[in-house]
Amino acid sequence: MQVAAIPANESTRLAALYQLLILDTLPEERFDKIAAFAAQEFEVPIAVITLVDAERQWFKAKVGTEVCETGRDVSFCAHAILHDDIMVVPDAAADARFVDNPLVTGEPHIRFYAGAPLTLASGLRLGTLCLIDRAPRTLDALDLGILGTLRDLAVMELARREEQHDA
Amino acid sequence: MPDSHILLVEPEPMLRRTVAMTARSLGMSQVHEAATNDAALRLLRSRTFQGAVVAVNCIGSGADRQYDLGLIDRLRADDTAGKTMPIAIMAEQATAELLSALRNRNISRVILKPFRAKVLLETIEKFGAPPRKS
Repeated sequence: MQVAAIPANESTRLAALYQLLILDTLPEERFDKIAAFAAQEFEVPIAVITLVDAERQWFKAKVGTEVCETGRDVSFCAHAILHDDIMVVPDAAADARFVDNPLVTGEPHIRFYAGAPLTLASGLRLGTLCLIDRAPRTLDALDLGILGTLRDLAVMELARREEQHDA
Repeated sequence: MPDSHILLVEPEPMLRRTVAMTARSLGMSQVHEAATNDAALRLLRSRTFQGAVVAVNCIGSGADRQYDLGLIDRLRADDTAGKTMPIAIMAEQATAELLSALRNRNISRVILKPFRAKVLLETIEKFGAPPRKS
């Protein structure tokens, strides 16, 4: 298993995340709706809005899983926040980075993953809107466009939260 | 921006926003959003559209329950491009009555629940495509 690199701007990134005062808060309909829409649109069993903390990834909204966080060392999203583009893993069992990841070899038995980074206007990537399936699959250009839009809607909600705390 | 303008009439905000924003980000047709029939009529008065995707709801109850096709009738009766532009309908289910009513109104496509943004975007892509040269 390949543990994701730590972003060069990690301390600034974490500061921006903590400033939102969003970690360990209760579910909110505006985020739940986005995750639910994504799960239905892409017909995936699991869709999650994750925020990558120093040692863990925490789920602000989730469909298809009762887990509310995992270690950052096993997190796919920790890889996804290293780049601007949507990260697609068509088959985790055939990907050297993830083949022996406990989230692949055990519950929830991830095979397909697509994570769209939640990038603030500042360029800091706090987490992802991600899709998970238990079977390999791919996304076409239209799918990627739709996932990117849903991610943008999630970022808008994060920005609203940012404005509330700045006010 | 693309020259093609498509009207999307859909009350559910997330589906509507997702379709309009994705169409914009992919450089497809410009999608103009209307949450209600009244909003759609206002938009129709303001510009010409090359196609429309319209959610139709049931009105009435019991045996009198039927789809409200008032907006479609307004479009087709219009003296402008609305008379001939391609229209797709979003409906909960395809009843025999609905299909018959749609045939009479020259509807291009019926999209049934569950509504997916991808299906709407594929429809919009077809409506916005330039006509093929023969």
